[in-house]
Amino acid sequence: MATQPEILTKSFELGYTYTRSTGPLIGRFLTGLRERRIHGVRASDGRVIVPPAEYDPQTAAALDELVPVADTGTVTTWCWVCEPLAHHLLPHPFAFALVRLDGADVPLLHLVDAGDETAMRTGMRVRARWSDDPRGSITDIACFEPV
Amino acid sequence: MANRAAVVGVGQTKHKSRHKEVSIAGLVRQAAERALADAGCGWQDIDAVVLGKAPDMFEGVVMPELYLTDALGGNGKPVLRVHTAGSVGGSTAVVAANYVQSGAFRRVLTVTFEKQSESNATWALSPRMPFVPHVNAGAGGFFAPYMRLYMQKYHAPEHIGCLVAVKDRLNACRNPYAHLQIPNIDLAMVQQSPMLWEPLHFLESCPSSDGACALVIADEQIAERSPNPPAWIVATSTRADGVMYAGKDNIHPKSLIACAKDVYSKAGITDPRRQIDVAELYVPFSWYEPMYLETLGICGEGEGWKLTEAGATAMTGDIPINPSGGVLSSNPIGASGMLRFGEAALQVRGMAGEHQVDGARLALGHAFGGAHSYYAMWVVSADKP
Repeated sequence: MATQPEILTKSFELGYTYTRSTGPLIGRFLTGLRERRIHGVRASDGRVIVPPAEYDPQTAAALDELVPVADTGTVTTWCWVCEPLAHHLLPHPFAFALVRLDGADVPLLHLVDAGDETAMRTGMRVRARWSDDPRGSITDIACFEPV
Repeated sequence: MANRAAVVGVGQTKHKSRHKEVSIAGLVRQAAERALADAGCGWQDIDAVVLGKAPDMFEGVVMPELYLTDALGGNGKPVLRVHTAGSVGGSTAVVAANYVQSGAFRRVLTVTFEKQSESNATWALSPRMPFVPHVNAGAGGFFAPYMRLYMQKYHAPEHIGCLVAVKDRLNACRNPYAHLQIPNIDLAMVQQSPMLWEPLHFLESCPSSDGACALVIADEQIAERSPNPPAWIVATSTRADGVMYAGKDNIHPKSLIACAKDVYSKAGITDPRRQIDVAELYVPFSWYEPMYLETLGICGEGEGWKLTEAGATAMTGDIPINPSGGVLSSNPIGASGMLRFGEAALQVRGMAGEHQVDGARLALGHAFGGAHSYYAMWVVSADKP
């Protein structure tokens, strides 16, 4: 019987560089973060969406009324990450949480640096911890922390 | 028999190198709003959204149909995404038309786009893969040898491709949406432009464009009470073929011959050159005009370059090709096929403005994608079939 042929495999990386244009609305939201201010957008039904949506999720209308919201809010649900991976934004255990900022009607997905899982609960109050070097990115909010 | 369907709205953006002022959502939105305005309807009147997009790798947005659902009023509605490489604009229009013809939806918004300024489209087509040599040639590098093959096989003079480039760019000067507008272009300018992919000069190649195109396709009842004249969809067809295999004819691909035969048969076209008033063909590189004229049966094998040389394909010729300026003048890749289909519709609606072909009643739209891999065609008419 003939020997089995060797079946070759080879890993490869595929990568390209891209540019992202944010458009006027998301652009204003991001430049606000650079100044440590958070904005939502007022939807057609009056609700405030954070981060802003360019187009209304119900009516498809173009939205452009930015509304300042607080950098404090309430955790509406969460998931504890006990073993962070290298690409996570905190090196120690943290929670991914939905945070409804004061003045907003829709929660924002972000990190909560609570120290320990036992410190986390739905309904807890949190405040943004700002980056020392804000550059116009959602990571200008380094994370949220309990208040 | 399928239900009747018609194009009742056509919208497109200005095509240009960079639309830095808008997001991708903002870009597709411009085209969609213009199509809705033409159709005289609003977001609430749309039953389904069919989005077409060239490879996700082009902009690096994975599943753009999810991201664009808000912008296209798709929440709570059927949203479908089509992908057939560069032909996707055409095949997306075909899918949208077929949905209306089947009776599944009465009024469909179909949208395609490309934002090449955010991307690396030419090189995303040439990834370095294991086990195969890295050609690193881009799209034109793949096609250039077949253009040479055509020139040699049919003794076509070298300036024919340059004539196509001059004709399409002059046509583009009549189209306010076209990207490249070079009013002083002439044969010498094209011939003196740098050799890009030998034997293809720089000015014989399509540009990289940001742009979007949208159509509203509706059933007979809606079409008949639309504010602007409908373009009745007489026939549609798509075909696919392998990238490379022994014996593949890359000058006259059999998949395109089959696609044309199918769409002509459905439309009752037996003499395309006489019956078709105007055609918008997907010509990204100049020599594809004479090659397509032959493959689409508009003339005999080896005769295409003679039609181009004689001016038959000019606005004033007997078979005008690409009065909009075509892909040679605007190439937002994902949208380029739909622009051909939409421009064909505008011609039979009498709404093509400065690049209107007088009296156009029957028009052909055509798109191609991949390595002579995908074809899509439709025939639209001013007259209800």
